[in-house]
Amino acid sequence: MKIMVCLKQVPHQDARLDINAEGTWIKEDGIKFEINSYDQYALEEALRIKDAGEAEVVVVSIGPDRVTQSLRTALGMGADRAVHVKDPAIEGSDALGIARTLAAVAKEEGPDLILTGLMSDDVNTAAVPPMLAQLADMPHTTAAVKVEQHDGAMRVERELEGGALEVVDLPRPCLISVQTGLNQVRYASLKGIMAAKKKSIDVKTAADLGVADQVGPAAAKIAVEKIYTPPKGEGAEILSGSTEEVVQKLVAKIKELGLL
Amino acid sequence: MGSILIVAEIQKGAIREATYELVSFARRVAEATDREVKSVVAGKGIGTQAEELSKRGGGEVFAIDGDTLEHYTVDAFQHAVQAAVEAASPDLVLFSNTPTGWDLAPRVAAALEAGFASDCFDLLVEDGKLVFLRRVFNGKLDARLVARGTPVVASMQPGATAAFEGTADGKVTALDAAPPADSLRVKFVETRVAEAKGVDLTKASIIVSGGRGVGAPEKFEEVIKPLAEALGGAMGASRPVVDAGWLPHEYQVGSSGQVVAPKLYVACGISGAIQHLVGMKGSNFIIAINKDPDAPIFEVADVGVVADLFEVVPALTQAVKEAKGAA
Repeated sequence: MKIMVCLKQVPHQDARLDINAEGTWIKEDGIKFEINSYDQYALEEALRIKDAGEAEVVVVSIGPDRVTQSLRTALGMGADRAVHVKDPAIEGSDALGIARTLAAVAKEEGPDLILTGLMSDDVNTAAVPPMLAQLADMPHTTAAVKVEQHDGAMRVERELEGGALEVVDLPRPCLISVQTGLNQVRYASLKGIMAAKKKSIDVKTAADLGVADQVGPAAAKIAVEKIYTPPKGEGAEILSGSTEEVVQKLVAKIKELGLL
Repeated sequence: MGSILIVAEIQKGAIREATYELVSFARRVAEATDREVKSVVAGKGIGTQAEELSKRGGGEVFAIDGDTLEHYTVDAFQHAVQAAVEAASPDLVLFSNTPTGWDLAPRVAAALEAGFASDCFDLLVEDGKLVFLRRVFNGKLDARLVARGTPVVASMQPGATAAFEGTADGKVTALDAAPPADSLRVKFVETRVAEAKGVDLTKASIIVSGGRGVGAPEKFEEVIKPLAEALGGAMGASRPVVDAGWLPHEYQVGSSGQVVAPKLYVACGISGAIQHLVGMKGSNFIIAINKDPDAPIFEVADVGVVADLFEVVPALTQAVKEAKGAA
């Protein structure tokens, strides 16, 4: 089985989020990046399928030079190959432009299974995976909390609301987006990291993939006009003072509630 | 005149309240831009629900009925929704951002080569243009999106506006657009409820929850649990804690865990991702303790402490014990 895993590199969850001068995105200089949390679970799931049988795991990421670091990490964890789509022309694409780029990679790779995270920690849209499935003409499901092989198909438990689960079967090739907590994500071992140095990262541009006219701001059907700090509502009454003073104020509040 | 198409959802046999929230959004846009509001409901034996939607929501309701629509599958419902899109030729298609919405809406958008605005909390019309507002970075920042051209597909956060309550005058149009069974690839197997184990937080009157800021599984035993016990309450956690395997799923508070409304909720080291807030914002009184003054949790809290939880929580535990001893 050939498994394609889509990885997005996103600002570290604890990174300081300062808005850029244009007000359209955050300042990326000097902050740390990491593999999107949801995508780490997708990669781990692919590696588990590989460990349990025979599979080739190809990781794909779109982004500037810094993305190499994440791809190296993925290779160190056990992925076999990496494709790095690196092209400034893709910056400013909407979800559809990104999905078109990934669909072009999928067309070249011909995977039996595409695994992705449910959404990314930065823009939180959850849009690319179903779009990619549509463009690659594959069935899909989202928010998987369990993935198994069943009678030549993929049997997936997907998370609904309030603790409910839905079980679906998808014939391959198919796309599954995964929820966090699906598995326990491994660390890259020293041996893995050493072995990864011999693994290849194919670098491709939008033109290589034949999508040059379908990506970037000009092709985007929807655009982020600005990002901003949410207007503060009434918010919390912030208690100030020494730890001792703050604690006494909290105890007084809890007493007022009649709970002490 | 353009139109807006609402993709209705049925839950437990009735039209979901979130669908009527879409009606509220759609009517606002329709009034400002002279558009018509239409909707589509798909399922098996859904005549009653389609009638209900036409009476309470108004507009033309496309009812797509068939055996292959008995359970949600992306194949079958995409087929149905796109048939309604063809019938209504909308320039805006609205979904609720529910498990069905997030599965289906982006796929429909890609099929229509449309712009997609995901999980929006507001939809405005400015100078005749559609503007979408949504949260990014797990609620830390907001984004304002504008569409370039039509059609546009958007999904709206459930609860973002009040459900439509007003006079409506609608009609049901049956649309023969259920897909043939042999065209479907995804097979529905079953739905079930995850087993509930041990901890029922919904009954607790005091909950002390810890988040990623607690840092390590043993710190829950050392820091969070003692405060919960001193207060006579239960311990809870946010999703990252459960995902990391620090605590089992039954401790999770949030949209995918337990939805709680205790008399007192103490959030320690929880930044306040939307999925957590949904699960606890109904609490009577919320205390938040977090190092980051910009953490979204402070927006829903009644009282906040911007400090290291490892200093404040143990001191609070001690003070609570003393207060109880003195009482």
